[in-house]
Amino acid sequence: MDVSQYLDIFIDETKEHLQNLNTHILSLEQDGENMDTINEIFRAAHSLKGMAGTMGYKRMQTLTHDMENVFSEVRNGAIKVDSDMIDLLFKCLDALEEYLATIQETADEGTNDNEPLIKGLNDILNSKNSPKADDGKKEEKEEKIEEKTENKLQEKWKDIKIDDSVKTVIEEGMKKNFKAYGITVYIQEACLLKAARAFLVFKALEDLGEVLLSNPSAQDIEDESFEFDFSVIFLTDKPFDQVISAIKYVSEIEDAVGSEVVFGEEKEAEEEAAASEEKASEEQTLPANTESKPAPSKSSAPASSAASNNNAVEKKTAGKPVVNRTVRVDIEKLDSLMNLVSELIISKNSLVSVAGSVVGTSNISFNEQIEYLESVTTNLHESVMKVRMVPIENTVNKFPRMIRDLSKKLNKKMELYMTGEDTELDRTVVDEIGDPLMHLLRNSADHGLESAEIRAERGKPEVGSIYLDAYQDGNNVVIEVRDDGNGIDIEAVKNKAIEKGKITKEQAEVMSDKEVIDLLFQPSFSTAKVVSDVSGRGVGLDVVKSKIEALSGEIEVKTKLGEGSTFIIRLPLTLAIIQALMVVVGDEKYAISLGAIQTIESISSSDIKKVQGKEVINLRGAVIPLVRLNRILELEDKEDKSQDMIVLIAKKGDRFAGLVVDELIGQMEIVIKPMGKYAGSCKLISGATILGDGEVALILDANALI
Amino acid sequence: MEELAITTEVTQYIKIRIQDEYFGIDIKYVDNIVRMQHITRVPMAPSYIKGVINLRGEVIPVFSLRLKMGLEEIEENKSFRIIILKYEGESVGIIVDEVREVANVASNDVEKVYHNNTDSIQNFLSGVGKTENGLISLLDIVEVLNDKAI
Repeated sequence: MDVSQYLDIFIDETKEHLQNLNTHILSLEQDGENMDTINEIFRAAHSLKGMAGTMGYKRMQTLTHDMENVFSEVRNGAIKVDSDMIDLLFKCLDALEEYLATIQETADEGTNDNEPLIKGLNDILNSKNSPKADDGKKEEKEEKIEEKTENKLQEKWKDIKIDDSVKTVIEEGMKKNFKAYGITVYIQEACLLKAARAFLVFKALEDLGEVLLSNPSAQDIEDESFEFDFSVIFLTDKPFDQVISAIKYVSEIEDAVGSEVVFGEEKEAEEEAAASEEKASEEQTLPANTESKPAPSKSSAPASSAASNNNAVEKKTAGKPVVNRTVRVDIEKLDSLMNLVSELIISKNSLVSVAGSVVGTSNISFNEQIEYLESVTTNLHESVMKVRMVPIENTVNKFPRMIRDLSKKLNKKMELYMTGEDTELDRTVVDEIGDPLMHLLRNSADHGLESAEIRAERGKPEVGSIYLDAYQDGNNVVIEVRDDGNGIDIEAVKNKAIEKGKITKEQAEVMSDKEVIDLLFQPSFSTAKVVSDVSGRGVGLDVVKSKIEALSGEIEVKTKLGEGSTFIIRLPLTLAIIQALMVVVGDEKYAISLGAIQTIESISSSDIKKVQGKEVINLRGAVIPLVRLNRILELEDKEDKSQDMIVLIAKKGDRFAGLVVDELIGQMEIVIKPMGKYAGSCKLISGATILGDGEVALILDANALI
Repeated sequence: MEELAITTEVTQYIKIRIQDEYFGIDIKYVDNIVRMQHITRVPMAPSYIKGVINLRGEVIPVFSLRLKMGLEEIEENKSFRIIILKYEGESVGIIVDEVREVANVASNDVEKVYHNNTDSIQNFLSGVGKTENGLISLLDIVEVLNDKAI
């Protein structure tokens, strides 16, 4: 079978399973007894094995198979989880990731057999008292039994309502020695092409007789909108066994169960239908409870009282409890959609400006149309943006594992606490943010946390804590990496900087702490006295900073010597379209992101005070420095000084600034356009936008002004 | 530039005028030629960057070739054009005094020029081409775009 077209799906799903395994093995280390975790691991390993097998990756299959065996023994309680085993399992995962990487590049799994790993796994299996071969059988048998019981309990075809017309057909058939059977077919859970398998089953059946009814409907089966089973009412003159074996002949069919449809009691049966429905749902929840140990998928299913004709739905929640139902969309398609929306907004803006220029005519309906267009474009924009938003989960999930590895490598005890993994960000940002975060975490683990002795001396708990918190703050998403380690030693940084010739002694004396910390973000600057594997090569923080700035974000550091440090990353929620305030400075129009602006104040020039030669205003008790935009933008001062000034109060973190502008135009939705690398690299300008009249207005980055 | 002298291919150049000298721009870099339009100033940019324009929904930076060559600016007139160049995926516009025609220059009609540090115009040239309508100085667009000195 040509499977190349499923390669993408395979790669995606394998990644998901590997991530799952990583997460769960990690929690297994914490709590080796947790059955839910073990089951989840077992399930993921099992699916991986199935998928690798389907795709013909034998080495991957062998490795996962052996891993699965180990998990199965753990599940049976025959092996206890210990740290060595976890280490080995992690190595196996790394090996699988390697396979995957090779597959991604060459569509082939490579030739690494990873024999030491397989041997290690087998050693674990053999370390038990009973010989291994036996276990294998026993385990298989158990699995079989389990499946059998599961199947027997769910002859779902009985839920099919047989209506009168079908009944007549069956009765007609019976007269000709035909018999009607109800059959429920189970497809292997690892099967990728359920619809195709079901189709083959139907084809096999139609060779033998006639399929009268199916549940779910034939259309649903074709669309793959069913779980791993379907039921049919089937009319044939062939013996039942032949039918069943014909079905089982189709590959990847787990099992088929059924029996003859008995019509004598049909009426009764119908009456019973309602009752049996309830019973069926009971039956379903019952095994779910009893089975909750061996079958993880069931245990997490809500023991809801959903009506049983919703069987399929219930099964769905039971079958896939954790994974989000997602659609994978090519990002290029989204981009083109996004561009179209941008165009739409631009054309809306031109309409607005045309409407404004038509004087005196009554254009109420015209305005109405514009308002309508506006609501459409806004909604469209929002929904497209939402499609692009993904939780940072996918990126941060790999960190606990990383911290564990670091902990071993550095021989420091540490724990990572994460919150807000469900915070959503633009897809492109989420993809890019992984590396900088990893750098920061490594930094915290290596430089931040002290050695056990020093921690004990300082009266800190032996296990160091690293926190990763993500949350939304207005139009920004904030990600904080915090540790309770040593904090940044300002003096050490100064000395290092002097040593490296970055600053002079005199400069060092007058530098504020903040300025000193900023030195850390300069290229090739590392205070680690020893270069380690983990960090200290002097590439790191500067890369982090440039990466985050490339995402239009910013990074800030708070630190206290001896108590720890916090790296705060702020990222914009959306990248392409923003709400902006249009202002006039001199005779030029500028846009400022509305997200940065707190309030707009009217300040009389007599309220301006001077502190250390800088202009400040006192606004409701807070002293706020003034920024005269015209001077910064190389424009002449306005002559008329008597009027009140318009001041935009901008906020960045906990700092404020008052931006003086000449005129306000109003709020507008603008599309950010890049200016290209030849337009100069002015930090104040974060991009440009095209106004309704086709003119270009520059976007001022309020953050850079503060 | 060495290859230009050896092979005898004919290259098409857009012939433009700056002051009273004619220059040629290799047509492969030219994306579009547009009339002068409103240019939005970009603050704190080098002086030769006149600003940015909107070309069919894209924001494109515009240079003054005069300023880039170290010449005086003159008052804008009707013959001024913006030539939109495309280089390594980036678009950039350059303002010229006038666009004349497309000139065909055979590679064996190209005289090499030698760069020196004093004449900034000469540093932007890849050669001088002989055509039936006289000499044109061939601009080295890569040099013009990459030069950060002015």
